[in-house]
Amino acid sequence: MVAKGDMVYAWTTSPDIAKVAECGGAVTGLLKYALENKIVDAVLAVKKGVDLYDAVPTIITDPAEIAQTAGSLHCGTLLLSKLIKKYLDGAGEMRLGVTVKGCDAMGLYELAKRNQVNLDNLLMIGVNCGGSVSPVLARKMIREKFGVDPNDVVKEEIDKGQFIIVTKDGQHKGISMDELEEEGFGRRSNCRRCKMKVPRQADLACGNWGVIGDKAGKATFVEVCSEKGANLLDAAVKAGAIASEPANPKGIEIRGKVENAMLKLGDKWRARYFEALGEGKERLQTMMEDSSRCTKCYACIENCPICYCVECSTKKPYLVPPGVLPVPFMFHLIRYAHVADSCVNCGQCEETCPMEIANSLYMHALQVDMERMFGHTPGVDMDLPVLALVEEQAERQRLFETGSDQIYDVFK
Amino acid sequence: MTETSGKLRYVPTTCPYCGVGCGLNLVVNDGKLVGVEPLKRSPINEGKLCPKGVTCWEFVQSPDRLTKPLIKKNGKFEEATWDEAYDLIASKFKETSEKYGPKSLGFQVSCRTPNEECYIMQKLARVAFKTNNIDNCARICHGPSVAGLSLSFGSGAATNPFEDVLNADVIFMIGANTIEAHPLAGRRIVQAKKAGKKIVVCDPRYTPTARLADEWVRYNPSTNIALINSIMYWIIQENLHDKEFIEKRTSGFDELKKTVEKYAEVESITGVPTERVKEIARIYANANNAVIIYCLGITELSTGTDNVRSLGNLAMLTGNVGRPGVGVNPLRGQNNVQGACDMGAYPNVFSGYQKCEDDATRKRMEELWGVTGLASEYGVTLTEQITQCGDPIRAMYIFALNPVVSYPDSNHVMRSLEKLDFLVVQDIFMTETAQYADVILPGASFAEKDGTFTSGERRVNRIRKAVETPGDAKEDWQIFVDLAHKLNLNGFDFNSPEDIWDDMRRVTPSMAGISYERMEKPESVHWPCPTLEHPGTPILHREKFSSADGLGHFFGLEHRPPAEVADAEYPFTLMTGRLIFHYHTRTQTGRAKILHQEVPEAYVQINNEDAARLKIQNGEKIRLRGRRGQAEALARVTDEVAPGVLMMTMHFGGVGSVNQLTNTALDPLSKMPELKHSAVAVEKITGVQ
Repeated sequence: MVAKGDMVYAWTTSPDIAKVAECGGAVTGLLKYALENKIVDAVLAVKKGVDLYDAVPTIITDPAEIAQTAGSLHCGTLLLSKLIKKYLDGAGEMRLGVTVKGCDAMGLYELAKRNQVNLDNLLMIGVNCGGSVSPVLARKMIREKFGVDPNDVVKEEIDKGQFIIVTKDGQHKGISMDELEEEGFGRRSNCRRCKMKVPRQADLACGNWGVIGDKAGKATFVEVCSEKGANLLDAAVKAGAIASEPANPKGIEIRGKVENAMLKLGDKWRARYFEALGEGKERLQTMMEDSSRCTKCYACIENCPICYCVECSTKKPYLVPPGVLPVPFMFHLIRYAHVADSCVNCGQCEETCPMEIANSLYMHALQVDMERMFGHTPGVDMDLPVLALVEEQAERQRLFETGSDQIYDVFK
Repeated sequence: MTETSGKLRYVPTTCPYCGVGCGLNLVVNDGKLVGVEPLKRSPINEGKLCPKGVTCWEFVQSPDRLTKPLIKKNGKFEEATWDEAYDLIASKFKETSEKYGPKSLGFQVSCRTPNEECYIMQKLARVAFKTNNIDNCARICHGPSVAGLSLSFGSGAATNPFEDVLNADVIFMIGANTIEAHPLAGRRIVQAKKAGKKIVVCDPRYTPTARLADEWVRYNPSTNIALINSIMYWIIQENLHDKEFIEKRTSGFDELKKTVEKYAEVESITGVPTERVKEIARIYANANNAVIIYCLGITELSTGTDNVRSLGNLAMLTGNVGRPGVGVNPLRGQNNVQGACDMGAYPNVFSGYQKCEDDATRKRMEELWGVTGLASEYGVTLTEQITQCGDPIRAMYIFALNPVVSYPDSNHVMRSLEKLDFLVVQDIFMTETAQYADVILPGASFAEKDGTFTSGERRVNRIRKAVETPGDAKEDWQIFVDLAHKLNLNGFDFNSPEDIWDDMRRVTPSMAGISYERMEKPESVHWPCPTLEHPGTPILHREKFSSADGLGHFFGLEHRPPAEVADAEYPFTLMTGRLIFHYHTRTQTGRAKILHQEVPEAYVQINNEDAARLKIQNGEKIRLRGRRGQAEALARVTDEVAPGVLMMTMHFGGVGSVNQLTNTALDPLSKMPELKHSAVAVEKITGVQ
């Protein structure tokens, strides 16, 4: 029997899964077990598309298909949280097993605070994440820095501070992430600033950090983060789908060190990015100039795991005049005002911006300032930020009925 | 919940709008489109999309879609079976052709349809009716690019890929509002700017693209040749031209040199002071690598082909052709405007620009297609076909075009279409043009069929079927296959778009190596690509030009004023423009909620001073009156246009249709109508505020 807080080594007992999975295949094995035993109705995970640079989300209901999602893809930069809200009814009626990185889990918490996903119906298998690399940049990096045709790469991984590739003729080649990132390659800028490396908001937090001794490379390090997670692991072990043993104390220590090193690196990058942004008027000036290229594709809103409003204020003609370029700065002010206290730094607003506006940097900088000022940390628990105290449609209705302009009525 | 709901599926495909060819995922749930998600694996746009791209799924499931074949009886459309429609079309076209010959038919295909459909339509027209009266709407956007770049360089296509601008030191843009018209090519300009590259934008308007520029040059509308000649004069004068390149790789320099000698001072024509011209000349000529990007501000004029050739002159003068970071790149307006021309939906060439007039080519095509008697003459072009309606053209087939809104002089178009004995319109919506049809065939949107679009960088991109067509609507390639069978034609036994593509490869040496398999990865292949082993050709004219003698050709070209210039009666110069929020005649973007909200009706930009003088308020509806008609639009009072100059949106029909004002005067070489320049008067509308 395991309980919240326990740490174990776990691995699949299925030879089929072990063959395709990494590090013992506990994640794939657990998802398969959950699906087979109707603990979930479906699994949302990521599979390889046209090649290993192409991460495609997929819904699986047949346990036999789960092996498609085994292994990791560091060159996929999907955010699953918003997809669950947009296309899967926020798991309103469907029990969904889902693999989550830190940003996925944080996004799901924020959406749950706003009643956009039902956490009770979600079984979250967290995976440690040191960051991901945008696929096209990854291919360029492999061609230019590794001197390898990206089509010849059969596996990539990020380990011990290196980006490592394996080519089809079996050659391994690794280059330090620091070196790559100094030259503009490597992880997305938001990943560099990220400090959510082990997603403990999930039901289980899984990874390969801290697996040592004879289990190195053959087992998954699993930290039990909730009762739901404990029950799943217990049941899977009891049924013989998963084998486990207590984690090696030395391994636990090593895992802690790896995590701390990643967090320190995150701090370093934050300092670097935020200092370059300046402060006060200087920062505002930078933000206004950069965002003046905006062409109103709404991708920053559409892909944001905080945004959920049916009637987005940026589409109100009296706030942002329609059909006008350059887009008035009010458009961005609305986003900052509505999102900044809850931004989880998932990076989607920047990665999908066609005008190369550093949206994620600005929002993240604002979030960090606000966290310092007000003590609210988004994405880690169910504490509500002020803007999540009411539901958008109900609030708009109240304002309409009372004629009040006191939004959110927090002083009543 | 139904059985299949929650069965989320991503279908990677290509955006149906502009010629950049962005990749995107259509999201399918329960057999229905539910959205668009980024396709970050695409090297073209890396998951980023413009306002049109992100909403491109919305029109697909519009309740307004055509779902049944319609036949007009006693002036009213009645639903018909496919067989009834096919029989009527086959018999009318056969009858007309037999009675009046091949010149009595006209075929027009839209550049938004996939390659396979462009190819099969031109094959059907040529094989069944021995006519070359087949054209596509490149005629009214980049026809002059095809003509001009062919004359200058030997190939009528863009020389370098979009991303390649990042290899340039100077980006010289003229008549191109890329940020709005080709946003994800615009992104490359933004990236270049961020990397410290120099951006020069020549445009009469202060566009969102001009805002990016290090050097914005406002010049008088339609004075391109004078401006470029003057730039070249100063390059030669200051000895900045590339003598080695000129000597080894070009011909005709002396003619050019002689001509530009008259263009030292052009301020009286262009409005640009000579010192400014010199500055721009130095910036362009001193760059190690400089690329030219242009668009419809160059082409949609009666000097279109000469404007394009002038840019060819400029690039060759400085040796800026045939390597990374250089070249001359027209930005193609429609998703498949490159492909429609490549496929031979053109009145003088078969696929791959193989000339119909050439006896050996025709003989080869006859053998490959298993026919005899293919037409050799230069067929009738798009807008000339409209003029010929009634005599000699009696029956016309319009595939996915909306000429009533998009061609110049709408009133002329409507009067012409009425003169036809028989008109077929194949489309997905009941357009303004479909109203004139005798038979309407309901086709498929980009989301409902497989196929390929060739983007402006000559990259062949796959589109993939995500959902079924609504009602009885059919995939368009299938409609042509069915019709070919009704006409008892051989060589149309195609079971898929890939079959059609392979038939095209069989007859087209320059594309023979591009198989569907090679297009699976989003990098795909740039033509020319003659064999399966060939890597494709992202950059043209590397060792030698594509012309017969392998040389680039200079031309001495003189400035000519537009056909209709402002005068006392019509004192304003009217230009037209595309918005980021709409695509062409809005049959698709008008049905995307947010795009309609952004710009629901036509507007016209007018300078502050003119507006003040005429007492016109910002946002007030005003009337524009010209020699051919009038239009109404909301005034946008701005300094983005100069005094005396107007810019009106090109997207709207009805009273807001700018094409009630535009001129049908043609560029003699490419038959491009002068859409970008006409003269109008501005009036307040009494009683309207």
